[in-house]
Amino acid sequence: MLVSPYLVHFFLFVAFPVAFSIVLTFHKWNIISPMEYTGLNNYIRLFNDKTFFKSIGNTLIFLVIHIPLQIIVALFLAEILNQKIKLRGAFRGAFFLPVIVSGVVVTILWQQLYGYDTGLLNRLLTGIGIAKVGWLTDPNIAMSSIALMATWKNVGLYIILFLVGLQTVPTQYYEAADLEGATHMQKFFKITLPMINPTIFMVVILSTIGGFSLFIEPYIMTGGGPLNSTVSAVLYIYKQGFFYYHMGYAATLGLFFAFIILAVVVIQKKFIEKDH
Amino acid sequence: MTNSLNMIIVVLLTYLLNCCSSSNKDSRDEILYWCSNNNDEIKFAKLSTDEWNKNNPNDQVKYQAVPEGRSSEEIILAAVVGNTTPDIYSNMWQGDVEAYAQAGVLVALDSLNGFLDFLYERCDSSVVEEIKSLDGHIYQIPWKINPIMLIYNVNLINELELNGPPKTYSEVFNASQKFQKDFDNDGYVDRWFGYSEVEVTWWQRFFDFYPLYLAASGGAPLVKNNRAAFNNKYAIEVFSFLQEMYNKNYFSKEKLSARQDVFLAGVTATRFVGPWEIAHAEKFKPKGFEYEYNFMPVPDDHIGPVYTYGDPKNIVIFKTCKDPQAAWNYVKTMISDEGDLKLLSLTNQLPRRKKLNTNPFFSDYFLKNPKMKIFADQSEYVKGTDASPVLKEIFDLISQQYEACVVYGMKTPEQAINDAADAVNLLFLE
Repeated sequence: MLVSPYLVHFFLFVAFPVAFSIVLTFHKWNIISPMEYTGLNNYIRLFNDKTFFKSIGNTLIFLVIHIPLQIIVALFLAEILNQKIKLRGAFRGAFFLPVIVSGVVVTILWQQLYGYDTGLLNRLLTGIGIAKVGWLTDPNIAMSSIALMATWKNVGLYIILFLVGLQTVPTQYYEAADLEGATHMQKFFKITLPMINPTIFMVVILSTIGGFSLFIEPYIMTGGGPLNSTVSAVLYIYKQGFFYYHMGYAATLGLFFAFIILAVVVIQKKFIEKDH
Repeated sequence: MTNSLNMIIVVLLTYLLNCCSSSNKDSRDEILYWCSNNNDEIKFAKLSTDEWNKNNPNDQVKYQAVPEGRSSEEIILAAVVGNTTPDIYSNMWQGDVEAYAQAGVLVALDSLNGFLDFLYERCDSSVVEEIKSLDGHIYQIPWKINPIMLIYNVNLINELELNGPPKTYSEVFNASQKFQKDFDNDGYVDRWFGYSEVEVTWWQRFFDFYPLYLAASGGAPLVKNNRAAFNNKYAIEVFSFLQEMYNKNYFSKEKLSARQDVFLAGVTATRFVGPWEIAHAEKFKPKGFEYEYNFMPVPDDHIGPVYTYGDPKNIVIFKTCKDPQAAWNYVKTMISDEGDLKLLSLTNQLPRRKKLNTNPFFSDYFLKNPKMKIFADQSEYVKGTDASPVLKEIFDLISQQYEACVVYGMKTPEQAINDAADAVNLLFLE
């Protein structure tokens, strides 16, 4: 009896939706008409859907750019902010500020910065004699632009995580290294990095999960274009479900994508366990 | 025991939720009419229902603006799913009707007394054919249109020393070439002849490809008998025309909609827009700014009237309505001569009825609003959308090819139109 509130919640909001979406994968349903059993049609369609696989590829491109960039920038800034510099608190606050600003607002602002003819970035470039860049209009660059913006938005959070990690490194190690005459770089690579390994892995996992759910940025900035170069898997699933009301197909894509995320997380977990 | 108890709780909760929605539904004893949530249409709905209620105490109509949401289409869909639809809804996009008709949630209006007589009195037979559903019934009442036309900056066009605004593709190219400027000589264009959103979103094609296709083809359909019907020379000509406009940078590829209105700022000389732009321009135009409207540009060898997309919004009666005949009786007054004049005066949107431009009942309005007269003239030659439950997907598939061909020049127009038609035909096979 005591666990019944949890069970009610579990059945209503977890078990039922999951079971229902699995059932949906075998049906055609546009919400307003009765469901129509279609067997494995949705799965056959999925494996022939080039745009869906392109969207997964786009998401992976985003992750490949975003995660290393996020780690390098966050670690670099955390290292600086861990030193005794003036206005350290103010700088920490400033870097964290974008994290608490609405993602939609940030995206709209960056859209202005990235404008081809009128954007600030291109005005700066042309001011110093460099050709304009199609930040959001060039299919080869658009996803990198989104990754750059996402890094700017989220880096504050990871700076905090790295700061916590850096502050757990015992100072004795650095003192011993100083006695041995180690350079700053040697101390960073031989002491700091190995000691904050768990934090790095946590950042990788959090960034991966966040990256797989990439949605707001391409939805607002590019709508998935140009030429589907920024359509993420989640955006594509959303479009199938809530633009075209292909609920059965969207459920199939969602299920397939969930398995991909699961596989990536399991692989990462194996790496972490191996490392420990 | 515990398991059984939990199951009972779940069943009870579901039952209670059901009861709540049912009791809410059953409590309604008046006809509920949802109008659009813009202020002018709310005013129209209020006036219209007040007058009706005064004369019909037994069939009271309550108006309500469609609840706020990302789009009214989504709200209606949610209402259909939740079985909380109003009795009458007056802002239904024509392209959505077929899906709802096939879902069986709309009243077949041709089964109501006096409906067909009224409809043929109001509209041409071509309009009646256009709104007919695939099952042969009629589920919508043509109400209002906002035809898409070419708006142009009079002063800027005059500076080009042309014989009026460009009417054909080659006239547009010629005007565009003269108009395009790089003021600061940095190698980048600073003003473009026109602008259309390059976004791939399906409905953006209502403001470029689709009206141009209707203009070029004399109002040809996109789909017919569950097959793509746009794989023709007109669609290819439209793609070629727009491709050249983007290729030569006569249209900007940049998203300009987020900045100051580029048309009013003189950054572009033209746009493809509807009559709603009049109120906007009158409010925000700079001193001395003059603008006019003209038909959509057509291929050089075009003969005959110039059609465009009318963006029709129609009235439907949902099956949840207890008395569809009473609801129809109210709608009849809403779209009577007086009702339509009220709609025009309050909202500056055109009623979809025949001979609007020559009907003396409306002539005073058009004398006072000469710019609206241009749209009234155009209203004789507008098309809505084809009856298809997958219209959004069709526009999306065209839009994908539009982006690849027109905006990025990665395909020839022939190839892009063929690919779009193949994809649409596949869609119908699913």
